[in-house]
Amino acid sequence: MSLLPVAVVVAPAAAVLAILYFRDRPNVREAWTFAAALATLGATGWLARVVLAGARPEAVAGTYVADVELSLRADPMGAMFALLAATLWLVTSVYSVGYMRGHDEVSQGRYFAAFAASIAATMGVALAANLLTLFVCYELLTVATYPLVVHSESDEARAAGRTYLLYTLGGGVALLAGLSLVYVAAGTLSFVPGGVGGLAADPLLARAAFGLLVAGFGVKTALVPLHTWLPAAMVAPTPVSGLLHAVAVVKSGAFGLGRVVTHVYGPETVADLGLSLPLSTLAAVTMLYAGVVALRQTRIKRALAYSTVSQLAYIALGFGLAERTAVFGALLHVPAHAFMKISLFFVAGLLYVESGVTDVDDMDGLGRRHPVAMAAFAVTAAGLAGFPLVAGFVSKWYLLVGSLRADAIGFAAALLAAGVLKLLLFWPMIRAAFFRGDPLASGPARDEAGRTAADGGAPDGESSASTAGSSLSDRAGARAWEAPSRVWRESAPALLVPVVAVALGAIVLGLVPDRLPLFDLATEAVAEVFG
Amino acid sequence: MIDPALLVAVPLAGSALPAVASRLRPRTGWPLALGVLLVQSVLAVWVAAAALAGDPVRTQVAGIPAPFGIGLLVDALSAPFVVLIALAALAVLAYTRRGGPRSGAFYSLYLLLIGGLTGVCVTTDVFNLYVFLEISGLASYGMVAQADRGAAALAALKYLLVGTVGASLYLFGVGYAYVATGTLDMAALRAALPAASDPLALAALGLMVLGLSVKVALFPLHTWKPDAYEAAPPGVAALLAALASTVAAYALGRLLLAVFPGVAEAVVDAALLGLAAASIVAGSLLAYRSESVARLLAYSSLAQFGIVVVGFVVATPTAIAGSVVHLIGHAVMKAGSFLVVGLLARTHDVRTVAEYAGLARRSPYVSAGFAVLALGLIGIPPTVGFAGKFYIALGAIEAGSWTAAALVLASTLFGLVYLGRVLERMYVGEGDTHAGPTGAASPGMYAAVAVAVLATLALGGVGPLVEGWLAPVLDGLDAGLAMGVVP
Repeated sequence: MSLLPVAVVVAPAAAVLAILYFRDRPNVREAWTFAAALATLGATGWLARVVLAGARPEAVAGTYVADVELSLRADPMGAMFALLAATLWLVTSVYSVGYMRGHDEVSQGRYFAAFAASIAATMGVALAANLLTLFVCYELLTVATYPLVVHSESDEARAAGRTYLLYTLGGGVALLAGLSLVYVAAGTLSFVPGGVGGLAADPLLARAAFGLLVAGFGVKTALVPLHTWLPAAMVAPTPVSGLLHAVAVVKSGAFGLGRVVTHVYGPETVADLGLSLPLSTLAAVTMLYAGVVALRQTRIKRALAYSTVSQLAYIALGFGLAERTAVFGALLHVPAHAFMKISLFFVAGLLYVESGVTDVDDMDGLGRRHPVAMAAFAVTAAGLAGFPLVAGFVSKWYLLVGSLRADAIGFAAALLAAGVLKLLLFWPMIRAAFFRGDPLASGPARDEAGRTAADGGAPDGESSASTAGSSLSDRAGARAWEAPSRVWRESAPALLVPVVAVALGAIVLGLVPDRLPLFDLATEAVAEVFG
Repeated sequence: MIDPALLVAVPLAGSALPAVASRLRPRTGWPLALGVLLVQSVLAVWVAAAALAGDPVRTQVAGIPAPFGIGLLVDALSAPFVVLIALAALAVLAYTRRGGPRSGAFYSLYLLLIGGLTGVCVTTDVFNLYVFLEISGLASYGMVAQADRGAAALAALKYLLVGTVGASLYLFGVGYAYVATGTLDMAALRAALPAASDPLALAALGLMVLGLSVKVALFPLHTWKPDAYEAAPPGVAALLAALASTVAAYALGRLLLAVFPGVAEAVVDAALLGLAAASIVAGSLLAYRSESVARLLAYSSLAQFGIVVVGFVVATPTAIAGSVVHLIGHAVMKAGSFLVVGLLARTHDVRTVAEYAGLARRSPYVSAGFAVLALGLIGIPPTVGFAGKFYIALGAIEAGSWTAAALVLASTLFGLVYLGRVLERMYVGEGDTHAGPTGAASPGMYAAVAVAVLATLALGGVGPLVEGWLAPVLDGLDAGLAMGVVP
């Protein structure tokens, strides 16, 4: 019995009450968020140290239903996910404050409370010692994130919230059915590295249970065709999209999928039952389909959402192949994608708050208005496409090698094709930001001509000049990048510092991945599962 | 050791007090009822503790032995319900002090209801069960009519008519059973009931199940319920929602497990499963279409009792434990929800789903309480609503009843659809967020709601405990032993 895993879950949970209590005093309220985030990060860091030293801290709350205990146990895989979530929560908290205040959002108390609750649930998912505990936290995560999705209380947000709940709780039902089958078949729900054994005794039952579990976790992993809630949920404030819909929620699904493959069924059983190919195929289809659909999106956040769907499928593919190197790559892709995608979302939110930009079409010339932020955007986008020296390359390398080792050349090709799709998605954005627009018109009151010429409309100078005056006024909100008259002109520090921090994180993950505890924990996890 | 007869005798005898005393001195009804119920609660907890710790507690009324005399029994199956009845009655009493009806006659009916319901739970005689069923039924018809609206009188009349038909059907069944076996004692009946295909046994079973299904309000025998719950005073609606159908469902389970196993199981199981499925689906649909929140909650009960019946039909130890947990949990959650409905009607004058819009801002704590209760009814862990459903689903899977398992699991989504509607309105609906309160509520009302909310969370882990309690009783029943005999 150790209190360390409990502390990791309780620290953010306790903050919920404090935040709600001080909901009308913003500074005290935010102080609680930061205190909890720091405490959580400290506890998680310590936990990761302890786990790397070989211990497996455990905390049991007692028998819950049937003979299954409600218990937490920190192993390398869980500690890795917890460490990732704790790190990004701290960064996102800074960003959230900048975003919510910069944008004068309503109900900020509810927002920060629900955020802390979501993190607590995510920690529970990460450290759950058995499938039932994981399920409980997974459902609580759904409930805790709902207020964030419907935050704006607009009709669109409510509709997205309904979709979100139906999909995720529907997934919860499938998950519950699957875990009940596993319980009846194997008599246990505990996570055992390499699988619990005994599941293959009744292949039909085991396959049905696997299908239900994949469907259950697949909803949050956004596997096609269960993915449509994710783009819809992009109506949430951007920090929510960033941390929750690119990291905590969807990664909880991917993490659950990983747990099922590595700690419930075990890679051997998955292969023996012939479950590897269907799951991998589903993942590959998702990867390519979402990659193509992303190209057709006009809103930046929706494009990022589809890119997330595609990237999560990389992780699902790695687990689906159930091969050592591929699983390692999948585990590494969890933090890699998290850092890169959260950078992109942060930049998208920054553009919205500072310049009012939400559409891909309006990104022209933004590189001059927000040079640092757009540079971060470009670097992490390159990482997502798989460029070396950024986080994405390392994990994709292992995934590629893994699929080749598994003799799955088709899946290797799919991985490469998906990388090309990412390039097609991000290159136009980067080109628009840096290479479009009139290079001479910087700062306030950009002229209309640069835009018109770049669009290829090629009107002559006179007509352009005559229309400029009128069109400038009605497009002023979107096009004239007026830098605020303050010392730091690029963007508000509370927004820019987190962007730079996560982008640097993505680069560090790409340059020296093996120096980071995340890498060691992933190595340990694979060693535990594959012996 | 306490005589279980006291559990019935105390509230029945005590029921005379409020009516008489309030004639002599006005407003003495409530304190007298409180006194009687406190005594009743102590007795209930005491007897239940004894029954759960060791052997079941049993007695023969007036010392006449079965099969001629009436036996009373508190075993692991009935003990939780005896305690539930006493404690729920106390909690709702805290609400009715201000929320009320406050007449002396009302509190007499209140105690009569409690006595009748407790009697149903402890009796081992099928005819005696009918008597207690009618006592509790008559008391509840009267209580529904206490609301001073025309609709309440009409609803009470409907409740009276349908409820009496149900009780009569049950009585017919008892008659057939008596003709077939010559006894009314449950244990003796079980031993004497002949082979499965005997027409008399089959008729007895069919009629008794049908009669109790009316009392439980399974679709399509439910028509009394929404009207009665909507028209009744909120405290009464909460008490009935907590106890009336719950006790009827308990009686149904008791008969299926202890009296009729082996009688035409396939036919009866299929029929009951059909009724349960219809209840789950139709109840959810009707709830979804309701405008009034009280009606919505009443229809939701149809679906929830459908789930409970599934557990009794599947009848593995896990599923039975699930049904017991779900009955207790549902009683707590549904009663709490009705108390919230009453509270909000009083403080903010809201009754329909549309009027609930934006309530979370106006009344954050009560709304949060309702949210917990609703999530429990949907079946989100770690509430008690999840525990019950999970046990029943697990039992169904163990028994290979895939349809039953799918029904129970899918009911979560149905619950989400009809209750999510209310929650969405409350929390993110566009409503009048600035209107002030229209009435005051007493601390007792808030306390009753708080108790229900805390119990919803605290009972979430009660499953293994119930499973452990029930194991010896179910082993005994499986071995063909009379109830209350521990092998």
